[in-house]
Amino acid sequence: MFHIKLALRYLRGRKLRTTLTLIAIVFGVMIIVGFNAILPAISQAIQGNLSAMADEVDLTVSSETRGPFAMAVADQVRQVPGVAAVSPQLVRPMALPASQALVNKDGTAVTLLIVRGVDPATVTEVEQISLADGRLLTAADQNAILIANSLAQNTGLGVGDRLTLPAATGVMDFEIVGITSGRPLQGSEEVFIPLATAQTVFNFPGQINTIEARFAANSNADTVRAAVLAALGSGYKVGGTTTGSEFAAAMEAANYIYNMFGVIAIALGGFIIFITFRTVVVERRRDIGMLRAIGASRKTILGLILAEALILGVIGTAVGILLGYLMATGLLTGMQSLLEEFMRTSVGSPTLEPWVFGLAIGLGVGITLLAGLFPALAAMRVSPLEALRPSLAEVERRRAGRGAMVGAILIVVAFLTLLPGTVGLAALGILLLIVGLALVLPALIYPLARIFGRLLSIIFAREGQIAQGNLTRQPGRAAITASAITIGLSLLVAMGSLILSMQGGMMEWVNTTLGSDYLFMPPSLVLGGGNIGANEQMAADIAALPGVEQVTSLRLATSQIDGTDLQVIGIDPVTYPQIAGLIFSKGDEKTVYAALGNGRAIIVNGIFAAQNGVTVGDTLTLQTPNGAQTYQVVAVGGDFLNFKLATGYISQANLAQDFNETTDMLVMVDRAANADAAQVAAGLQQIAAGYPAFTFYSLAEWQTQMERTLAAFNGMYVLLIILAIPSLIALINTLAINVLERTREIGTLRAVGATRRQVRRMITAESLLLAATGTLFGLLTGLWLSYIMVGAMSMVGLILPFSFSYAGILLAIAVGLGFGILGALIPARQAAKLDIVRALAYE
Amino acid sequence: MSIVKTEQLTKVYGQGATAVTALNRINMTIQPGEFVAVMGPSGCGKSTLLHLVGGLDQPTSGQVLLDDRSLSGLKDDDLTTLRRRQIGFVFQFFNLIPVLTAVENTALPLILDGMKQADAHNQAEVWLTRMGLGDRLSHRPDELSGGQQQRVAIARALVAEPTLLLADEPTGNLDSRAADEIAALLRQISHEWHRTVLMVTHDPRIAAHANRIVFLKDGTIVDDTRLSDDGQYEERVVREKMAVMA
Repeated sequence: MFHIKLALRYLRGRKLRTTLTLIAIVFGVMIIVGFNAILPAISQAIQGNLSAMADEVDLTVSSETRGPFAMAVADQVRQVPGVAAVSPQLVRPMALPASQALVNKDGTAVTLLIVRGVDPATVTEVEQISLADGRLLTAADQNAILIANSLAQNTGLGVGDRLTLPAATGVMDFEIVGITSGRPLQGSEEVFIPLATAQTVFNFPGQINTIEARFAANSNADTVRAAVLAALGSGYKVGGTTTGSEFAAAMEAANYIYNMFGVIAIALGGFIIFITFRTVVVERRRDIGMLRAIGASRKTILGLILAEALILGVIGTAVGILLGYLMATGLLTGMQSLLEEFMRTSVGSPTLEPWVFGLAIGLGVGITLLAGLFPALAAMRVSPLEALRPSLAEVERRRAGRGAMVGAILIVVAFLTLLPGTVGLAALGILLLIVGLALVLPALIYPLARIFGRLLSIIFAREGQIAQGNLTRQPGRAAITASAITIGLSLLVAMGSLILSMQGGMMEWVNTTLGSDYLFMPPSLVLGGGNIGANEQMAADIAALPGVEQVTSLRLATSQIDGTDLQVIGIDPVTYPQIAGLIFSKGDEKTVYAALGNGRAIIVNGIFAAQNGVTVGDTLTLQTPNGAQTYQVVAVGGDFLNFKLATGYISQANLAQDFNETTDMLVMVDRAANADAAQVAAGLQQIAAGYPAFTFYSLAEWQTQMERTLAAFNGMYVLLIILAIPSLIALINTLAINVLERTREIGTLRAVGATRRQVRRMITAESLLLAATGTLFGLLTGLWLSYIMVGAMSMVGLILPFSFSYAGILLAIAVGLGFGILGALIPARQAAKLDIVRALAYE
Repeated sequence: MSIVKTEQLTKVYGQGATAVTALNRINMTIQPGEFVAVMGPSGCGKSTLLHLVGGLDQPTSGQVLLDDRSLSGLKDDDLTTLRRRQIGFVFQFFNLIPVLTAVENTALPLILDGMKQADAHNQAEVWLTRMGLGDRLSHRPDELSGGQQQRVAIARALVAEPTLLLADEPTGNLDSRAADEIAALLRQISHEWHRTVLMVTHDPRIAAHANRIVFLKDGTIVDDTRLSDDGQYEERVVREKMAVMA
C-alpha cells in the first residue's frame, strides 16, 4: 500500500515526465492491439464461405482445389448406396463493377453477390428454398433469378423487375421471378440462377463446383459420407467451397510485420522507461539515502521503484489497449472505401482475441517492469550515507575497458554477417551492432566529443569547450543518451528508407508487370475476389481491332499442394513477355517463358517459395480437377497483383488442360507503333462497353490510379514521427539529470561570471554534441536496418530495389540535430534560471 | 550502562599513499540522556564518527557498541531494523520527501516498520504537535519554512521512540533564529524527554546548548568538556575552547 501511495505521489509530482513515459508504453501497446484487432476483421471480410446451406443439407461436397469439376462427378455420388438425391451446383462470388453495383436505399452499394447456379429439377430434392414472394426456378427458365428478401428490401427490387449482371460473355439480363426468405449470408447477398446459365456467366461449360446430397431416411450419415468420399477418390472434401484462403499466407506475413513493429515500439518504450527510471534514481538519491538511513530495507527501496514502474505499465497498457481499439476502428473505417473500391468487399468491426490482450498486457507491463528493474537494483544499492554527504559529481574513470573491447568485437562480427548476403544473418547482425555500439560508445564519447567539439567551437566558442568536458566526464551517461538518439533515428532512417523503397519499388512492379499500353482491369484487384472475367471472345475481338499489335491475358485457377492453397495464374508464354513480364528473384528471364510452354512447368512467387521452402528445380504436385499433376519449378518470380498471395504461374495451355480454365481475368493490350492512339483507344473502349465487368485504362490513367493508391503509404510517415518522440524524451531526460547533478557547478559558473545566456548555450552545446554522436550511429544502423527490412520484404515475395535517399539522410541529420536543440530547451532554461545562492547551497 | 560506546574506533578512507585516516582509535562513552555536541574543524572526522555510530558506515577497525551490543558483524538487514527502531536521524538538508505531507513524512519510520497507516499517522500527529506544528500537518515540505521543515524531520526522527538521536549539522541550513529554536528543541528532547542526542556542529552557539562537548582534531579526541547542566548559556566557554584548539 505504502509503495503504491508513494509511487503515485512521485508520479503525480512529475506530470510531464510521467506523461512522456506513458506515451512510450501506450504507443507500443496501441500498435500491437490495433493491428491485431484489424487483421481478423479483414481476414473475415476476404475469406468467406460460399454456401450458407453447407451445414443445412445432409452432405455438401466440393473440390479440395476449390475449383470446378465435371458434372459427371455428381452421377458418381448419386450411385453411392444410401444417397437419396443429388443436386449439382456452381457457386461463385460475383464482384459487381461500380457501373452495375446495386444501390441500397441508404445510398450504400451492394458490391458482391454469391451466385448459386442450381439445377431447378434437383435442388428442391436436397434442400428447402423458402419463398417470400414469386416462384422457384423451373427447368424451362434461362434468364430467371431468385434474390434474397434482404436484398429486395434494401434495394426495392421485386418480382417482375429486371437485373443486369456481368458475365464472361459481357452482360446478361435477368428477370426476378422469386424472393427467397432464407437467412442472409454475412456481408454478401445470395442469388439463385439456373445451373446452365451460371455455367455461361462464369465460362465453365459443363462444370460444377459443389454437389449437395440428401441421404436415404434409414441410412447412417457417417457411413454414407465415407462411402461418397471413397467413391470420389482423392481431391474432394466434405463442405462447401470457400474463397480467399490463398490470403492466409499474406495475412500471416502482415501479422508478423505489424507485430514486429509493435515489439520494436515497445522495446523502444522500454528503453525510455529505463532512462526515465535512471533519472528518477539519480534525482532521488538523497530521498533514497534518507529512507535507508531511517530504516527502509533494500527490498523496500526496490519495491518502491518497481511499484512506480508497475503503475506506469498498468496505466500505459490500459490506455494503449483502448487507443489500439479506437485506432483499429478508425483504420477499418478508413480502409472500408479502399477495400470496396479495389476488392469489392466490406469489413466488420475490430475483433480483440484473448491472446492479443495477453500479448499486450505481457509486453506492456512486462517490459515496463523489466526496464524499471535495473534502475531499481541501482537504487537498492544507494548507501544511506547519500542522505548526509554532499555528493559531488564524480569523474568516471572508465575509458576503453573490457566492455568496449567486447563491443568492438561484436561490431566486427556484425559486419561479417553482411558478407553472405542472407537476410536472417543480417538481422542477427543488427542486434549485434546495436549491443556492440552501446558497449563501445562510452569509449568513443571522448574522441567523438573532441571531433564534434571542434566543429561546435565555431558556433559556441567558449561554451563548447565546457560542454565537451562535461560529456567526457560522464561517458557512460552520455553514451546512453547518444544510444537513445541512435535507436530512435535508426528506426526513422530505416522506416523512411523502407517506405521510399516500397513506393518506388511498387511503381516499378506496376510498370513492369502491368505496363502495357492499355489495360482491361477487373473490379477486384484480387483476381480471385469474385471477378467474372471474359471468355476468349473478348481477347479475340481486341486482337482483331486495327492498330492493336499484341494482346495477352491473365487467367486464374485454384489449386492445392500438400494441403496448402495456391492460386494458379495462366499466362501465354509467347505474348505475355512481349507486353509485360514477371519480376524474377531466381531463374533466367530469357529461358523461363520458353520453359513454361514446354511440358508442365511452373513459376512460383516469392511468398510461396519462402513459406514452403520451394526453389528452382523442385517438383510440385498440384491438385487439379483432373487429378494430381506434377509440375517442375523453373523460376521464382511474380507480378504486382499477386505478390502477397501464394501464386504459381503456368502456361494457359496447361491451365486449360489441367484446370479446365479459359476465362480471361485481366487483359493487356499493346498498340502498333504506327497506329493512331486515339483511334485504337476508341475501338478498345467500345469493346470494353460490352464487358462492364472490366474497367478500361490507358497506361497513363492506370499509373495515375496506382500512384494515388500507393500514396496511402504516406500515412506511414506519421507513424515515423510518433516513433521519433521516445528518443526525444530520452534526450530530455538525460540532459535533465545532467543539469540536476551539476546544480552547484552551474551556480559556481554563474557566480564567477557566466551569464544566463552562456549557461543556456553550454547546455545546448552539450545536447548538440550528444545529438551529433547519436545521429552518426543512427544513420549507420538505420541504413543497415532498412537493408534488412527491404530484404525481409523480398523474403515474403516483394522484391524491391533498395532506395538510398540522400535527401532522407540530410533530413535525418536535420532531425537528429533538431532533436539536440529541442531536447536542450527545457534543461537549458532550467539551468539558466537557477538562483545562484540556492544553487551554491545545494547539497 | 552506556548507550553508545566506541572502542579503538578507526576509519581510513582510500588505500596506500592516498589513504586518509578520518578517525584514529577513538574511545568514547555516552550515557543515556546526555546531549553531546561533536565539534572540530572541517575534515576532523566528526561526520564520520556520526555515520559509524549510526551504522551507516563500517569502521576500518575497532567497534561501536549500542546498548552494549556491537554493531560489527551485523548484517545489512539487522542494521536497517536497528536504525528504524533505535536511532533517529536529523540531517542538515532535512531530507523530507517532497511529495509527502508533514504527517506522511513523519510517519515514514512507523510505516516502514509495518504499522497500520492510521495508527502511524496518529502517532505522527502527536509528535508534530509537540514540535509546534499542529497547524501544519498536511502541508508539503515546499509549503514550510526551513525551521519548520527541520521540526518535521525531528518529529520523524522521534516518532519511532528511539533511544538515540543523531543530528548532522541540524542547523547548518537555517537562519540564526530558527537555528536557536532547533537547538533549544534538541536540548528539550534530551532533558525533558530523556533521549540521548549526539549532534555534529561547527557552530559554538548551537554547541553551547549541549551538556557535553567533544572536540575532534585530525581524527582524535583532543578535548571532552562537560558544561553545567542547568541550561545556562555557555557560548563564551565554547568559543574559548575553540580558540585554544585552533
